[in-house]
Amino acid sequence: MYILKNALISITRNKGRNLLIGIIIVVIALSSAVTLAIRNSASSLINSYENKYDVKATIGVNRENMRGGMRPEESMSDEDRDAKREEMQAVFADASNITEDEINKYGDSKYVKEYYYQVSVGVNAEDLEKASMENSENNDKMGGPENGGREKFNGMNDSDFTLTGYSTLSAMEDFINGRYKITDGKISTDMNDNSCVISEELATLNDIKLNDEIAFIDPNNEDNKITLKVAGIYDEESDTESMMGMFAASANNIITNANVVNNFTKNDEDIHKTITPTFILTDKKDVQKFEKELTSKGMSEYLTVQTNLDEVENSTKTISNVKTFATTFLIITLIIGGAILFVISMINIRERKYEIGVLRTIGMKKSHLTMQFVCELLIVSFASLLIGTGLGAMCSVPVSNHLLESEISNSETQKQNVENNFGGHGDKPMFDRISGTVEVAAFDSIDAAVDLKVLLELLGIGVALTLVSALASMISIQKFSPLTILKERS
Amino acid sequence: MKEILKLDNVSYRYADAEKDDYVLKNINYKFELGKVYAIKGRSGSGKTTLLSLISGLETNYDGKITYDNQDLKNINLDTYRNTYVGIVFQSYNLLPHLTASENIILSMDISKTKEKDKKGKAIKLMESVGLNKNFASRRVLKLSGGEQQRIAIARSLSYNPKVILADEPTGNLDKETEDEILNIFKSLAHKENKCVIIVTHSKNVCDEADKVYELKKHKN
Repeated sequence: MYILKNALISITRNKGRNLLIGIIIVVIALSSAVTLAIRNSASSLINSYENKYDVKATIGVNRENMRGGMRPEESMSDEDRDAKREEMQAVFADASNITEDEINKYGDSKYVKEYYYQVSVGVNAEDLEKASMENSENNDKMGGPENGGREKFNGMNDSDFTLTGYSTLSAMEDFINGRYKITDGKISTDMNDNSCVISEELATLNDIKLNDEIAFIDPNNEDNKITLKVAGIYDEESDTESMMGMFAASANNIITNANVVNNFTKNDEDIHKTITPTFILTDKKDVQKFEKELTSKGMSEYLTVQTNLDEVENSTKTISNVKTFATTFLIITLIIGGAILFVISMINIRERKYEIGVLRTIGMKKSHLTMQFVCELLIVSFASLLIGTGLGAMCSVPVSNHLLESEISNSETQKQNVENNFGGHGDKPMFDRISGTVEVAAFDSIDAAVDLKVLLELLGIGVALTLVSALASMISIQKFSPLTILKERS
Repeated sequence: MKEILKLDNVSYRYADAEKDDYVLKNINYKFELGKVYAIKGRSGSGKTTLLSLISGLETNYDGKITYDNQDLKNINLDTYRNTYVGIVFQSYNLLPHLTASENIILSMDISKTKEKDKKGKAIKLMESVGLNKNFASRRVLKLSGGEQQRIAIARSLSYNPKVILADEPTGNLDKETEDEILNIFKSLAHKENKCVIIVTHSKNVCDEADKVYELKKHKN
């Protein structure tokens, strides 16, 4: 107790000395608070990006393995080369033909947060005219080629339309990213509903209105039919340069849920379906482990896991640089600040040699003396830390807010846009669950730039700085002989 | 009279001195409670060094020093200095940022003296060395040499040690003050049964002491 009392007396009676140490710690705390707040805000932004742009994995062809395994040798004849090429195409077709069971098997993994898929099949329709450049209102200005004939769906079925089913709303990426937008009606959120949405071109051409029913036919078997109610009409965002290619691909695209497509195709073994799975991984570090698990679950050696990691990392590159800069600045501040404090402490201790000598002579233990000096530094450090942190909090809020405000605004706008793209259900919880629109709420409290985490980090810095400064006293107290000090004084 | 301190064949040389270059050699002194001792000698004879050995500030010596029959080498010297011996220096060695009473109270705190009213005791000690309570709240640097020396004596008495060691306590004082300080020491020895050991050049102090030891400069 007397140590604390003595420390307090010493602080109040030696104001100049302690003021100097205090000012240095205030400056260190101020710059540390600002850099820590920026660093944490940057981390939050990076996390936000990573959450918003989920690490999506899909299964694609491993071209390297395929080239290596199927490459024709130079000594081969032309016939052998052709045979090898055909074999390669067969393997390619087989390898890319993933089934729903396989998707479920692969999706049942601890590395997967969520998974969904898109299934497409070529279909015909009895009373529906296919949209083409010929009958498009854009035909004159585009001047594109005619495209009235039946399209070959992946070279397997001759069909006029593509029936695309999605397993979940999250799978409807074209609506999430705004390429497609509902202009009338809405997409049913019931994943067992026999409804569909069609393009504006198709609706105009065939005079289809909401709630009309359309019958689609299996190109391989005319008896296999399905009737879907039109729940909505969508428009595709486009620019004139890509209008031609996009027109053929999307105008005849009938969008529904995966159950509709699976029920329609279950009686036709010959019909060719294309299934594209998407696995949302729990962590970007799990990509390799996930691929290893898929291989162990029987994924072909000619397939590989492809991710959007590059895209995610590119989007966080700038803010990562800010974080790195803040971290570097913090380290430099701490090193320089720590060194200055150490030197000042050494000078102070030299000034206080006489006091050390007297106290040791009258029987004060080295440990008590050290405790008193550490106490003094702790009191000065924490008082200065409080002031520095307060100033830091005031400075860091506008800085962090500036960094975060645009992000919050973007997130909210994006969420609103996605809701509009689906036809605006007013069903907030449903759209909050859609991948790519979540985590906006996590940014509501931007004023918490100097939060508990920053305070704890500053506390750690304070303790570290005190220890650095106290080290000088500890060394000196151990080293100084009271007799020598008093002799020098005399 | 009870023997409290004893030096048996105590020899000392500086760490960097040559092998036989002793400052003190084969010192055999005995000190009893209730007496004032003077240790005199010319400059360089080792008076202050001897006091450093007795006070436990210097430990690298040959021979044996015992306090109350305990070898100093077996006693915790911090406890020894803050409980059993009180030290008074020529240059007072008070802490300048503290007041007179705070210097005395700090000494009580260090020695863990069980005293409820430490400030009251400090004032009483000051009064016992001739300073009234008005001096209690004064910074020591604002006191005269004699007043500072009285505070140093009061400080050394604060934890009621049996031995008072004083290094030239009157060296910076005028004759009148020297006499007053000497009277305090004599009173401590004769009335309070303390052993007072004074290292001095002063003939006056030697005359007043009960016993005088003379250190002669050791020659190889």
